[in-house]
Amino acid sequence: MKQLINSVLAVSIFIVSANVLAATDIAKGQEKSAACAACHGVNGNSSNPMFPIIAGQHADYIIHALRAYKTAKRKNPMMQATAGALSDEDIINLAAYFSAQAGLKTLKR
Amino acid sequence: MERLITCLLGFGLLLSSSVYAAADVEAGRIKGQTCLGCHGIVNYNNVYPTYHVPKLAGQHQAYLVAAMKAYKGGLRSHATMYGNVADLSDQDMQDIAAYFSQDAQ
Repeated sequence: MKQLINSVLAVSIFIVSANVLAATDIAKGQEKSAACAACHGVNGNSSNPMFPIIAGQHADYIIHALRAYKTAKRKNPMMQATAGALSDEDIINLAAYFSAQAGLKTLKR
Repeated sequence: MERLITCLLGFGLLLSSSVYAAADVEAGRIKGQTCLGCHGIVNYNNVYPTYHVPKLAGQHQAYLVAAMKAYKGGLRSHATMYGNVADLSDQDMQDIAAYFSQDAQ
């Protein structure tokens, strides 16, 4: 019985973690990023000072921001419309893509 | 008459330049000390919910000002950010933004 529980556990952990890993796909994020590039620049390094540079930003912060725009917790008409059209998988892939680009850093004290 | 108009125009420009004083990086470094408590630590985390505090070095100055105003005005909600920007003047925001928009190199 214990062995059965162990193997069920191992299999379920494998399936769950495999699913989570499969959800992050930088190449798919790059594909989806064409719409973002219009304002945020080709790889997230925007040249227009009103639009933030998102290249190199933390992936989990980008995810947090996109979800907040999507649910209107953060209010910005353009971002609400753009993020509203994204699935959670799109958001995760876009965040993976932009966070992998060279750009923002943490300011040194 | 033309001279009077030119004079008035010049005076108007002078007024507007005093309203929009140039952003001062050094003043921003001092005013921005508290910001570094979170934004100056590599990979520092926000909690409840947990995610990394955003990187700001190299960000556009105008965008940083817009973000601070959004927190102050309630367009973005984050208790800590509201607490830190609610008392800032436009000049403070300009200075702090100028400081953070510097590249980390």
